[in-house]
Amino acid sequence: MKQSFWKCFFLIWLVCISNASHALEVIEILGGKASQIPVAVIPFKDNNAQKSMQLMHEVITNDLNRSGLFSSIDISGVSDYPIDEREVNFSNWAALQSQFIVVGKIDAIGRSNSQMQVTWSLIDIYKEKTVLSVAIKGQPSQYRVIAHRIADTIYEKLTGSKGVFDTNIAFVKKLGKEKYSLFIADYDGHNPRAIVNSRYSIISPRWSPNGKKIAYVSFEKKKPVIYVQDIETGKRTLLANFRGNNSAPAWSPDSKKLAIVLTYSANSQIYTIDADGKNIKQLMRTRSINTEPAWSPNGKEIYFSSDRAGSAQIYKVDVDTNEVVRVTFEGNNNVSPSLSPDGKLLLFLNQDNGSYRVAIQNLLSNQMLKLTNGPDDESPIFSPNGHMVLFTYKDYGKVSKIGTVSINGLKMTPIDVGSETILESTWGPLSD
Amino acid sequence: MKNSLLLASLLAVLAAGCSTTDINDPMGLNAPFPELESRTGDGSEVDLIGSSQGKELNQSALDELAAAAELADRSVYFDYDSFAIKSDFEGVISNHATFINKHDAAVVVYGNADYRGSHEYNLALGQKRAVAVKQALEALGVNGSAIETISFGEEHANQTCTGSTCGQDRRADIGYVGE
Repeated sequence: MKQSFWKCFFLIWLVCISNASHALEVIEILGGKASQIPVAVIPFKDNNAQKSMQLMHEVITNDLNRSGLFSSIDISGVSDYPIDEREVNFSNWAALQSQFIVVGKIDAIGRSNSQMQVTWSLIDIYKEKTVLSVAIKGQPSQYRVIAHRIADTIYEKLTGSKGVFDTNIAFVKKLGKEKYSLFIADYDGHNPRAIVNSRYSIISPRWSPNGKKIAYVSFEKKKPVIYVQDIETGKRTLLANFRGNNSAPAWSPDSKKLAIVLTYSANSQIYTIDADGKNIKQLMRTRSINTEPAWSPNGKEIYFSSDRAGSAQIYKVDVDTNEVVRVTFEGNNNVSPSLSPDGKLLLFLNQDNGSYRVAIQNLLSNQMLKLTNGPDDESPIFSPNGHMVLFTYKDYGKVSKIGTVSINGLKMTPIDVGSETILESTWGPLSD
Repeated sequence: MKNSLLLASLLAVLAAGCSTTDINDPMGLNAPFPELESRTGDGSEVDLIGSSQGKELNQSALDELAAAAELADRSVYFDYDSFAIKSDFEGVISNHATFINKHDAAVVVYGNADYRGSHEYNLALGQKRAVAVKQALEALGVNGSAIETISFGEEHANQTCTGSTCGQDRRADIGYVGE
């Protein structure tokens, strides 16, 4: 693979990539499409005669495309479907300018052929050799999960970072006048299942970093209160129902505490509380709004939005010393902060001329980059590897939808979850 | 302007001679941190709305409320991104303050915001509007402990409003326990 691809370019606001096997930090962008890896995913040869399997290559292609780091080669004119290196005509693929191809086959195995085995290879066309060759087994009904895992393996091999294609998202849908549901789905919107149904609004869903629970704000008690729900069992506990509003739950990186916002003493203020509801501690008390807490990955600071300077901006507070520092300075106002998994980038909403859009800021250089155009983009959150952002936006019909944008800004892709309006969305962690 | 209202409120509190707030610290920033009633469990808790001091309206008070033309208007409207109470609404506040004091009523002020911006920030902005109305009522002698503030943020807002139609959503509503 080309070493030069991974060298740090001069783009001022981004951090260099290390060539080590450790997680990739931030991808640089230069010259747009020049930095995407061209890959062709060939339909796998299906010895199984189960039609759904034929979609696996599409799932893999869509995953890689969505990340913004790959560009898929159009194979509509290709009739040659190799299944491994021996069948590959390298010069043909080189002519299509495909740097890599993904090929494979699916066989029925096991008792009465009820299971399937996918044998696939990632092949470097320029070097004319197989980079990876893997066999995976599963039920035919699990073809999407298997395809996502294949995409993850390819992603990790070629970028050095974990892929997120086998993760989950959660989102709140308004299904009708008094009908709201919190759904969990595959990250690409497939397999949605409702975990909370309510006649009243639900906002701020937040996954615990250990993946076991989801916190959310519900208006079912005619005021905002915070629940924590166990994802596997569906059982929930009321974390906070103090006098006034209870909202904005944010898990600490070790999943043991949450930062929350209460209005017990008039305006919105930030507190921390143990996950079992004990040990509440106030972090600040000012005349201004203080809300939307978000922990730094090292657990030492909490970023938040506040109007103490007149309009909403983002600040950070040291959890031990309570010292507050302002972080954003551009645009009319800045809200909804969160941090990248490596702690180097701040993700937020920047409002400029009335338009809300998704932006990121390098916390070392303080350079800001707008990732989307607005005008009503909201609810931004990083993928667990920090390479994509999930957010909500309004389309021309004014219905809210969800989509992802790659942090190199090259690729914005909607996520199809149906036509009802989305209130808020969030991304779940990597599974271990 | 908010400043003149704040000044008026300080003077009114002094003049009224009854105060549950320290005039040097109207927001209670320096008060000892109160014991918070933590409610964990699975939905069996009593709803804390309206559990303040102040009385639930009885039937005759409810009848009076329904009949009084000057009490029909419950809403104070705000400018974009603002929580300042405009002079247009001093009458609404004053009429309700009179009624509240007469019946020692328990009150809930509900704050709202238009849909633009994040849900959580709008929840906080709605809250600030509710608090502004509460403080304006307190300035007219209403006991602060009888007034609860709740925000719905943008959750009741028209998500497709444009321009001036969004003004409807930027409001605080005065509600009575018992109605």
